[in-house]
Amino acid sequence: MAGFGSGSEIASVAATATVPITAPPETPKLPPGEWVKANLFSSPFNSVLTVISTASLGFIAWFFLSFIFHPIRQWNAPATNLRLMMTRAYPEEQYLRVWACVAIILVLTGMSMAVWRAGSTMPVAGLGRKLLTTGALLVLLTLLAPFSTGATVQWLAAALVVVAIGESLRRIADRGEAERTVSTLTLQVVALAGVVTSLWVIPFGHHSYIPTRIPQVMEEPGTVALSTKLPWTIMLAIVVAAYFGGALLRDRLAKNTLRVTLVLLWLLAPPVLVYLILRDPDFDMGHVIGTDIPIFLAYAVLGSALLLWLTRPSTGEIGRIVAAMVLVAGFATFLSPMRMVLRLDMLLLAAFALAAPTFAGGSRSRNRYTGAWLLALGVMSWLITSVNTASTVKVPGGFFIGGIAITFMVAIFTIVLSVPLGIALALARTSTMPIFRLLATWFIEFVRGIPLITILIFFSIMVPLFLPRGMHLSEVAAVVIGYTLFSAAYMAENIRGGLQSVTRGQHEAAEAVGMTTAQKTVFIVLPQALRVAIPPLVGHCIGVFKETSLLAIIGVFDLLYIARIVIPGQTEFMGSARESILFIVPIYWIFCYTISKASQRIEQRTGLGER
Amino acid sequence: MTAPTTRERVSQRVPLWRDVIVLKWVTQVFLLVMVLGAMFFLASQAGDNLRARNISTEFDFLHEPVMIQISEGIDTHPDTGARALWSAMVNTLRISGAGIIFATVLGVVVGLARLSDNWLVRRIGTMWVEFFRNVPLLVQMIFMFSFLTTLPRVGLDSGPINGWLHISNKGISMPRVFMADGFYQWAVVVLIGAVAAHYVRRRRQRIQDETGANTSPILWALGTVALFGLVGLFVHPAFSWLGSVFGAIAELFDSLPTAAPQVLFSAAAIGVATTWIRRFLSARRSAIGHLLLSDDDWFRMIFAALTSLVVVLLVVRWSGLSAWTLDSSRDLFEVLEAKFEVDGAARPFDAMRPDIVQKNRFPNYGTNGLTMSIGFASVFFAVLFYTSAFIGENVRGGILAVPKGQTEAAKAVGLKRGQVLRHVVLPQAIRVIMPPTGNQYLNLLKNTSLAIAVGYSDIVQVGTTVFNQTGMTLPVVSIWMLFYLSCSLTISVVVNWFNVRMRLVER
Repeated sequence: MAGFGSGSEIASVAATATVPITAPPETPKLPPGEWVKANLFSSPFNSVLTVISTASLGFIAWFFLSFIFHPIRQWNAPATNLRLMMTRAYPEEQYLRVWACVAIILVLTGMSMAVWRAGSTMPVAGLGRKLLTTGALLVLLTLLAPFSTGATVQWLAAALVVVAIGESLRRIADRGEAERTVSTLTLQVVALAGVVTSLWVIPFGHHSYIPTRIPQVMEEPGTVALSTKLPWTIMLAIVVAAYFGGALLRDRLAKNTLRVTLVLLWLLAPPVLVYLILRDPDFDMGHVIGTDIPIFLAYAVLGSALLLWLTRPSTGEIGRIVAAMVLVAGFATFLSPMRMVLRLDMLLLAAFALAAPTFAGGSRSRNRYTGAWLLALGVMSWLITSVNTASTVKVPGGFFIGGIAITFMVAIFTIVLSVPLGIALALARTSTMPIFRLLATWFIEFVRGIPLITILIFFSIMVPLFLPRGMHLSEVAAVVIGYTLFSAAYMAENIRGGLQSVTRGQHEAAEAVGMTTAQKTVFIVLPQALRVAIPPLVGHCIGVFKETSLLAIIGVFDLLYIARIVIPGQTEFMGSARESILFIVPIYWIFCYTISKASQRIEQRTGLGER
Repeated sequence: MTAPTTRERVSQRVPLWRDVIVLKWVTQVFLLVMVLGAMFFLASQAGDNLRARNISTEFDFLHEPVMIQISEGIDTHPDTGARALWSAMVNTLRISGAGIIFATVLGVVVGLARLSDNWLVRRIGTMWVEFFRNVPLLVQMIFMFSFLTTLPRVGLDSGPINGWLHISNKGISMPRVFMADGFYQWAVVVLIGAVAAHYVRRRRQRIQDETGANTSPILWALGTVALFGLVGLFVHPAFSWLGSVFGAIAELFDSLPTAAPQVLFSAAAIGVATTWIRRFLSARRSAIGHLLLSDDDWFRMIFAALTSLVVVLLVVRWSGLSAWTLDSSRDLFEVLEAKFEVDGAARPFDAMRPDIVQKNRFPNYGTNGLTMSIGFASVFFAVLFYTSAFIGENVRGGILAVPKGQTEAAKAVGLKRGQVLRHVVLPQAIRVIMPPTGNQYLNLLKNTSLAIAVGYSDIVQVGTTVFNQTGMTLPVVSIWMLFYLSCSLTISVVVNWFNVRMRLVER
């Protein structure tokens, strides 16, 4: 069946390829009057619809405008608490590290945008028309809003300026013969530069929230702008510089190396950033030099030698026996008291040794495999070391990070951890081995059948009970474990869809050239399956980001919790919950909308998900 | 059969540690042992810790009195834990059921709006979808809640309200129409009407098939039911004799021995398993008559047989289950008997206006009116809007998936726009729309659990209160999981049944 399917697929591709490609017909530009008649009043039913929807839109706009601009609104509540919303009680003198994290992310973003050639061009005339529409909308909204006369005049003037800019752009674009275009990236930079400039000009937020033992609000004009205008200007410069740096590298270096390096950096960034934010800056390096580095070096040298020998195709049977013995040795380390890092490294080595025959081959692939081992060992040693070092800040009352920082932290860790687990579950569910399949199916269906909040409540309450005596896990870590299990079940279903789209011919061809099942899965099936699964996986990641808001229910200080409970609880801003919640709605919306639009564009451009 | 070649003979002597089948099973058993071992370890840890903290894992709290006030529902001051959880389950089911129905309707509207000819309506549809999809549901829910709580307060003057509708920060209250004593007798009349409607529809359909005239069979059927319902309002006391029939059935159940349901259940379990295995074997039989059974197939059959064995053992060992079945069947028929043996003059329906009562310190709506509390409204509307955005996208995708030629052909034979949509496009689109929409129904059910954030007493909120008071975390969590799993299973069974029915029958 599948053979026929793929055959007809090829045939249909061939058939479409012979059809001459013609440009889509130009849609004629109607004059405004006719356009309105054709699009809004084409039939009596349509006219009624237009009238009703205009009325309801107007009512909704009027409702929100009269809410937002009502004089009793305390909009300085979110403005004053911006720092609280971003990072909660992070100590002010260490804030440089937060900015360093933002800078790292922006450098990576700028370089990736250059390397993957993000952005597109749009005609100047189209930009002019957009600005015209925006100006007209602004006029409408200004007339609807309950402003005083002075404010109305000011807003109308602003709207007129926008209209004037739009109209002049349109005129300029129409003058030349060739169509002028402008890069969307330039537009974004211009818009961001405008926002940053406003920090220098407008004194946002007249208060500053001082996170001491007894939180208090200090009156100090323009504090938000004061404390962030310089850093944000530097950040804007950094992202632009990173973009041009990335463009330079793109032209100099091989495309694939650069992309792989960037992806690796993106994957490594979260632990590095968490380390940057959380760890003590002046801790004792003696232990690291005396113990951690020698252990790492010993494992690196001996492990590399072993793996180089194991990946030789001529090693044969004896290699598997040696690998199994390494595994036994790894488990045996748990019988005698020794450093945990020794045991974990041994188990990692065993895993690499067992998988070695799959990656056996010429010197290039052997070197690559050994490189992967060194990388994994390095990352693990560094993670263990960093987890064991003391935390910088002593804040009474548990975890001090909060706000949007914890929203991102939980989302990123959940996604990164649940991808491998999801792949394993998907492979187990499609496996030919009944017990594997049964366990995976039960787990997936069970988790998918129950709501996330019950899992979060269960983990936040029950994980301490499941741990052996003397072992502790912070609530956030427990919640991330639960969230990862939840997310992995959904990811497994998406990846299973991808696995099923890999045609039977691919399996048979891989078997025909003598690949083992492991080799077939790693080199043939998974790359194709993951490629197909990327669009639903991105959708799932957006869902993970959105549902971190559930942390507020179990009392983690995330963005929603701060907006709903903490800010309205401050004596200065009693009863300002609606303002704060309305303030965080666009924050969530912008992130989710941008990611989903970007992924749609990438899908269209690369033909992802079309198989 | 020829003699095996050298190669074949060599391949038969694979050493044990290289034999794929042996390796497969060793790995699987190893994994199973690891998983069971990990679970056992965790369970023993939890047991130790719970004992150390003096927390019991029994289900005793279900029968013991609790101090819980439930915001609304069938029982706001339950006397036992079981009653509290049951009342909360009904609340969850109520809000999910209403959500599913209304989200379907609104989702279709949104999907059609996104495909409308009207530019403004299309734009509104897009804005609707992009806004509600990209903001977390919990944020929307809390946002709505914080707006609704600022509505005007309830007045202090208690008693019935003069108006029909009352809106305040306690919710929306409107007149309630409820089933009165004569309802069950009336329902019998309607049931007869439904049977009659079935025949009417068949007859009208036959006439339409024979003559080609539009006889609108569905309308006729609905009209018949309505007619019977109307007539039933006056003649329903005629059916009170059914009460004694139900009484006789109840007595019959009372006289049956406990062994009867035991035998029945065991026979059913064994019968299902044997039928399944027999069908399975015949499906695996090849054309020349021998069986092609893989490891998997053996596993399935052994699993089915073991399951039926476990069911039989459970039924036989646990005689309380059978006794409970008998008792509850008897109770059901006794209740029906009581429902039918009422005064002949009782009306099937009655209506009451909303009222305001002052129980403790704060005035609130009484039980007379149909009240939608603020908690219910914020959960309901948030879930409704959120899900409608997703269903709208499914509807749009499904309609776009219908080839354009279908619409053009339908227009060419002279169908009107509504007819094209109803008879040509939607029947084809529904096959594409339904599977992802079923997933959305499941998500809706699970999303109502966020009600804990706005104080609507659903199963999660009441369960949290119960285990905060009693410390019974594990039992409550297991009840949650059982409840949600069975609800999810029910929804997916219904959706799957629908999908199978709607599937295109090919040759």
